[in-house]
Amino acid sequence: MELHYGWNELKDIDFMSILPIILPVIAIGMILVLIALIDLYRNRKTRKNVLLWTLIIIFANTIGPILYFVIGRKDSERI
Amino acid sequence: MNNFAVLAKKEFVQMVREFKVIWLPLVFIFLGITQPVVSYYLPSILEALGGGQGITIDPSMAAQKGGEVLASTLGSQFDQLGVMIIIVSMMGVVQSDKANGMLAFILTRPVTVGSYISGKIISNYLFVACSVALGYLVSYLYVVFLFTSVDFGDLIVALLFYLLWILFIVSFTTMISTIFNSQGIIALISIVFLLGCRIIVGLSPVIDNVNPASMSKHAMEVLILGTVNSQALWGVLAALAWTAVTILITNIWISKKKFNNE
Repeated sequence: MELHYGWNELKDIDFMSILPIILPVIAIGMILVLIALIDLYRNRKTRKNVLLWTLIIIFANTIGPILYFVIGRKDSERI
Repeated sequence: MNNFAVLAKKEFVQMVREFKVIWLPLVFIFLGITQPVVSYYLPSILEALGGGQGITIDPSMAAQKGGEVLASTLGSQFDQLGVMIIIVSMMGVVQSDKANGMLAFILTRPVTVGSYISGKIISNYLFVACSVALGYLVSYLYVVFLFTSVDFGDLIVALLFYLLWILFIVSFTTMISTIFNSQGIIALISIVFLLGCRIIVGLSPVIDNVNPASMSKHAMEVLILGTVNSQALWGVLAALAWTAVTILITNIWISKKKFNNE
């Protein structure tokens, strides 16, 4: 049984037929990330842990921006 | 009624300021899209990644009906991640007012506790219901595009059943948010209790009749079978009764001033 997969197997997948269906999913994820990053950048002076939040927003997909909007913005208001 | 309008408007202004008005609908649209797309591509994902030799994918497995996929959107996306996101976004609804002294200030004015609570619950519920409905409709569009079409009447009936469950979630989270002072405890208790309600659905028909989470099961049944369960009326009454109880407890708790502003 073959357990190792290489890059050349990616060619077997027909990307052009998948693209129009996958694109909205990626687009909505990107919009969430963008809104969160823009808000973080505009308030970078008053927020704590700016670098940490940037990493969370970018790498924790879809959960990261939500966490930032709920927790990240509220903590800063108390300062 | 005037007090109510002002308080509801204040809630909406706060939602716009917190960007909630943008991200909550987007999250539900995302959840709604994910389920049809993943179940449509599940056979090809398995084929591509599951070790090519020795596995045959039964082609009849892929032929899911549209209603089943839409029901699994409600049952496995909205009922787990969706409920958690609603709770997390609403955990500060009364708690933040308590924390910064706003609640004590509002109650020194000639505002009845009833109009304060109804302003909170109705404005938040309308907004959450709109975003859930939006995600559900986008999911419906995807299902029609990728699978078979779903009867429009069934779609609306299932949505109405589901929105009753959402109403209970919103009022329960508001109650917990009134009683407890720490956001972490509010989120923990609400998530454990509401997901627990959802898990025990289907264990016994007697429990289902008094469990507000059975609304979600009835919505799924309408989508899959196309008929309304005869027991659904009791479930609707129970869900409305539980919602009334939670609102009553919130009302008593605030009017007896059991809250302490830290």
